[in-house]
Amino acid sequence: MENTALAHHLLLAGLLFVLGLTGVLVRRNLLVVYMCLELMLAAATLALVAFSRFNRTMDGAVLVFFVITVAAAEVAVGLALIVALFRKRGTVQSDALTTLRD
Amino acid sequence: MIPFFAAVDPAFKLLAPRSADWLTILPEIAVAGLSLLCLLQAMLLPKALRALIPVTARTGLILVALMSLVAGPWTQAADVESFAGLLRQNLPTDGVRAVFLLSALLTSFLAERFLRERDAAVADYHHVLLVVTAAFMLLVQSNHFVTFFLALETAAVGLYVLVGYLRRSAASLEAGVKYLVAGGLSSALLLMGIVLVYGALGAVPGVTDSLNFTQIGKALAAQSAAGAVSPLTLAGVALILGGVAFKLGAFPFHAWIPDVYQGAPTPTTAFLGTASKAAGAFTLLILATGPFAPLAVKVAPLLAVGAVLTLLAGNLGALATTDVKRTLALSGVSHAGFILAAVTAALVLPGVDAFGYDVEQVVVLYLLAYVVGTFLTAQALVALPALEDHRRPQLALRGLLRRSPLLGGALGFGIGSLAGIPPSVGFIAKLLVLALLVAAKLWWVLGAALIGVAISIHYYFSILREAVVRPTEDDEELAPLELPLGTRVLVFVLAAASLLGGLFMLAGR
Repeated sequence: MENTALAHHLLLAGLLFVLGLTGVLVRRNLLVVYMCLELMLAAATLALVAFSRFNRTMDGAVLVFFVITVAAAEVAVGLALIVALFRKRGTVQSDALTTLRD
Repeated sequence: MIPFFAAVDPAFKLLAPRSADWLTILPEIAVAGLSLLCLLQAMLLPKALRALIPVTARTGLILVALMSLVAGPWTQAADVESFAGLLRQNLPTDGVRAVFLLSALLTSFLAERFLRERDAAVADYHHVLLVVTAAFMLLVQSNHFVTFFLALETAAVGLYVLVGYLRRSAASLEAGVKYLVAGGLSSALLLMGIVLVYGALGAVPGVTDSLNFTQIGKALAAQSAAGAVSPLTLAGVALILGGVAFKLGAFPFHAWIPDVYQGAPTPTTAFLGTASKAAGAFTLLILATGPFAPLAVKVAPLLAVGAVLTLLAGNLGALATTDVKRTLALSGVSHAGFILAAVTAALVLPGVDAFGYDVEQVVVLYLLAYVVGTFLTAQALVALPALEDHRRPQLALRGLLRRSPLLGGALGFGIGSLAGIPPSVGFIAKLLVLALLVAAKLWWVLGAALIGVAISIHYYFSILREAVVRPTEDDEELAPLELPLGTRVLVFVLAAASLLGGLFMLAGR
């Protein structure tokens, strides 16, 4: 019974992860790409909580707090960069990022 | 130890940090303290004395390096575990910590003048630089996936700031955003890998902490001996190695490297190329030969193919570029291929050595040689006036030797060391890796490495040719470049290191 429930959690986490990965690779708006990155982290966190619960070890649950903290720091810096880029270029479409080439 | 917690939970007695544990990370604490000191100075010092900030940072870094040289566990052959198994130190981890300190020190030398010329804050840059350095130093000692992930992410977030540091430059911001997306993707893959390994091995009886490297290694050894490694674990290991390969810039995860290295402020580019690559290389080594060593049969072929493709992709890519920073970025990919090849040798033939150096020592020596070559080259680039930091065509180097013989010499020694011209330190480092490949009988990888060296000579020397041989157009005399005394001394020291370091490496045996 418990194993089925674990499989369900993992399936959901896997789906979210793949959804996020697809978004990162396909979408062109940097903000959406960034949201998809966060979705991937959230998917990993969900799997972490599920494993922690079903393996009866606390380490995973503790790691979740660290992951959330790290994600918050990453968002702070990431959004700052994206806003600065928008101010400079007036767009956040990744197609427009063509300053750097040979 | 705090008595109150010990009374509440007996486990605290086992797990609580002891005072000796704190001593083992004294260098990291000192570097972190130094980074705070930079901010404090920026707040308290009057404007006229602000120039002291980078000087303090550098003095502090030198003191920390001396302290760890004197007090490190150099004399102890065995590993030292601290913080209840969260950290693990030995001779190679101390060597890599020295690489990070050296790299931060040289970056500070580059950054001070560079940032002042562009009217950017020097104190903040040093603050973030030192935080990243401390995080990298913790990363290479981690023996547990929580410390591993935290140290890696602390460094990554700091590097996003350093790459996008020039807020008025569209190129720097673009590089920052590209690095952000690439780095975020690799962190997510890495975290998912850690979670899968944690979950799959957490259900194994006898494993109390499936995030601890030692316990993961034991569980995997038992499972692979019985031929029953779960697919979930294998997927996790693959994701973790993929995430680390991203940081290292190994094929097929190297696509972000040219753009980010080109757009980043040149001091950051040098720091990314040395410290960040060193962190990726060394973590790959400790993961592949530590917890994942029982899976060597499966991992080694992957790494061998990765090494061959990385060597080819880096060198062929560099051949097709004309921008100096881009060429150096892609040549850095090929250097990552060399390190990957060394790691592969360690997996194929455990205990393999070259001239008496084991693989961990060879990797550290390779990284040191790479630091010397990169920073010599970067010194020449930074001293050249450029309208835009991200446009540094080879043509801009024309007549460098005439304008400043010292900088021309720096470029010559730097490029010579990167290309591996004997008897430079880069040559000896490459020789050690090739000797490892011969000892492990990895002929395919050896062939790719030799082809890579042959190709690299071509693009390295096309850079050097512009600086040394070709006169300026129409015999027009360009103004000589003035260098401050500190830079001149630094170039001399680095050039001497590039010339003599290799001989010391061989004499050390």
